[in-house]
Parts: sequence; C-alpha cells; structure tokens
Amino acid sequence: MKAFVTAFALALALGCGVAAAQSGYAIRDVAVKQEPYDDATTVGKLAEKAPVEVTRRQGGWLEVKSSNLTGWVRMLSVRMGSPGGTRSGSSGLGSLFGIARSGASGAAVTTGVRGLDKEQIQNAQPNFAELQKMQGFGVSAQEAQAFAGGNPRLAPQRLDYLTASPAAAASDTPVPGSSPFSQ
Amino acid sequence: MQRTLVGLIAAAAVLAFPIPGNAQFNIDFGRIVDTARSLAQATTEIDEKQEVQLGQEWAAVLLGAAPLAADPNLQRYVNTVGRWLASHSERPGLGWRFGVLESDNLNAFATPGGYILVTKGLVLRMRSEAELAGVLAHEIAHVVQKHHLKAIQKGAWAKVGANVATEYLNQRSRSPVGSAAGQQLLSGIKEIMLRGLDKEDEFEADRMGVVIAARAGYDPFGLPMVLQLFNTMPQDSGLELLFQTHPPPSDRLDALERVTGTKLDRYAAQPQVPDRYAQIVGLK
Repeated sequence: MKAFVTAFALALALGCGVAAAQSGYAIRDVAVKQEPYDDATTVGKLAEKAPVEVTRRQGGWLEVKSSNLTGWVRMLSVRMGSPGGTRSGSSGLGSLFGIARSGASGAAVTTGVRGLDKEQIQNAQPNFAELQKMQGFGVSAQEAQAFAGGNPRLAPQRLDYLTASPAAAASDTPVPGSSPFSQ
Repeated sequence: MQRTLVGLIAAAAVLAFPIPGNAQFNIDFGRIVDTARSLAQATTEIDEKQEVQLGQEWAAVLLGAAPLAADPNLQRYVNTVGRWLASHSERPGLGWRFGVLESDNLNAFATPGGYILVTKGLVLRMRSEAELAGVLAHEIAHVVQKHHLKAIQKGAWAKVGANVATEYLNQRSRSPVGSAAGQQLLSGIKEIMLRGLDKEDEFEADRMGVVIAARAGYDPFGLPMVLQLFNTMPQDSGLELLFQTHPPPSDRLDALERVTGTKLDRYAAQPQVPDRYAQIVGLK
C-alpha cells in the first residue's frame, strides 16, 4: 500500500512536470541573483564545480539550489550533468527534460528501432522514393509566414550573428543584414 | 596548384582523348589546356543546381539508412517551423525541405542544398518548438555556410571530377563510368557523415543557430537547452554517432558562453511554444 502511494506520488510528479530537480554544476565562480536579472540583488556565490540542483528555467537563466542558497544564474554558466560528463549508466534526468521512463530501472523508453548507427549509414543505399515523399511535405515561405502570424505570434527580429572574435567575424560569417529578411 | 593543373591536364588527356598508339601525337594541346581549365574551375565551384542535386543524393542516403517517420502532420509541422527559420537566413530562396527520420538515435543532419533531417528520437526528447527551432537553425547555418559542400568538394567531388559527378547526378547514370563515379561520391558522402565536419564549423553553426532562432521570433535558448540535455545523457542512449561527429556538448556550451554575454537577453522572453510542440509531437 505504501509502495503504491509512493508510486502514485511519483507518477503525479512526473506527469505534472513538477520539478524533480536536475543536477548540475557551476563552470566557474558565479554570483547567484535573487531574480533572473543581472542587476538583481546578489544572494551569494557558487564556487567553480559547485554542485547545484536546477529547478526551472526562465529565458537565459536557471533557478538553482545549492546546500546553502537558492537563486538565479545565467544558463550558460551552469552545466547540467556532472563534471567530467555523464557518459554511462543512469543519467539521473528528471522532469526538466521530462524524459519518459519505464519501470524502476529508469531506462528511457525506446521503441526498438535504432537506425542511423555507423553501420546503417555505411550500408545505406539511396532511397529516392522516400526523398520524393520528403519533397511532397515541403512548405512555402508564405505558408510559413501565415503560421508565424498565428498564435503564439512569432515576431521577426533583426539581429546580427554573434562573432567568435573580431578578426574571425569579418571572414567567417555572411555580412550581417545582407539579405536575411527578404521574404 | 601547378601540380594539380598538371594532373588535370594528364587526366583530361586520358579522358578526352583515349586514342591508342601513335595517334596521340596529333593531340590538340590548346584544347587539352582548355578542358583542364574548365575542369579545375568546375572542381572549385559548384553551382546551386549541382549543390541541390548533390543534396538530394545525400538526403536519399540518409533516407536509405532510416525512412521518414510515418506521421504526415509531424512532417508538415517540422517543414513549417524549418521554412520559417530559413526565411531568416541568408539563403531564403533555396527549396528547403525538412524531415523526421524514423530512428531512436538522437541526431540531426544537414545536406547541401537545404535538405535537413532530424531523428524522431531527438524530436521525442525535446520539449518545445523553440528547442526544435534551435536544432533546425543550427542545421540551416551549415547549409548557409556550405560546410558539407566544402567538405565534399575537397574530397570525393574533386576525385571524381566535376563533369563526371554532375553527369551522374543529372542522370544517375547507369553507365560503367557513371556508376563508378556514383559509388565514389556515395562513399564520400558517407565518410563525411561518419567523420563529421571541422569542429569550427560546428561552433559556427551554434553561434548562427541561436541568432536565426531569435530572428524568427523564438526564445534563442532552445539550442543551448538541447546541448544541456546532451550533456546529461549517457552516450549509449542513442548519442554515439552525434558524439563521434561533434565536439562535446560542454565545449559547445563553453564556446556559446564566450560570445553570448548579454546579447540574447532581450530575445529570451520570446515564445518557447511547448504546448503546440507537445500536442503535435504526441508527448504525454
């Protein structure tokens, strides 16, 4: 009975996407803010590699909990997972990614068709019938624009590419604003 | 260059004038040099039509490894999101096509000419349209920058020769020389898919991808969230090929962090669209 209640509570938590926090760590010393803004009050500091629990995301910010504080840090100053990477065994994922799980093993649900491993690509012969199908699903720029004008509305913005370094910027990427908005 | 040209002249001589015996002394050297020159030029420049043909061949190989997922709604949806993103790239006029492959692996592929494929395994792990947009925008950036095209140009395309390659792609020639060239091209395509691109090309596609997503009105942090997801996952959960062909996700996030600063903050509140995504993808 107790086990049933626990299982029920767990299912509820997963189903509703309630945070079963994700583990992560700070990639360097980082200030923790009370709100997800740079000019919010600093409530403390995380040391490099300090483990945290990530509870939610707002824009480019993550809410984190460590042993002694709770607050917001920029998403890119935290890595989900564990230092050195989680490369085998259970990944300890929870509801932030909402991965479907089966049974007590915590193994992600798979449907059995793997495909696109090294070997399958190596042995693949071109399938032009499938290509023909793919062509048939094409959408025009006008149709896409109508979709973007729906709900929620996707409002186009003008912004330049981020540049790797001032020197690389000139040669690497297309001239910003050259033609990306001609629709 | 000198050596390449000499090689090409020799190759052109053999190809264009397979004349036996003493007849070779009548070779018109002016004509050979012209042929060599056009070969050299064609080898370095692939026009858009050739690029699209090559992309079709490439996509057909992927579709030979895994077919399209049998869900027309999903296929149309991914095409719609992808087409909207592509309209905010530097190549809005390409005949962009997007597709979902029936595979549990987690991966996404760009091919020359604007054919982009993402696995159903990855689609099922993502949680919002903004995340899908981030992944598609990364692939769109590869097409805009012609990363795959450049990779094959240096390899199989040059080896086969532009004229032969083009002839093969035009007619999917069954002639011995055509099919031999086709086999070479095919193995060149596979080699790039299994080896991956230059790391720098991947970092560049990440930098451009977040911006293309923001331009199209999405929360630009979808792509970094997908990279965070990869960082938490064991490799043996369907990420083997992705990990073999890309820099580690934490390196990609590091590289993004170095260039992002506060530049994307004003777009971070743009829609993530989790509900429509869950509904169409069929997430529970």
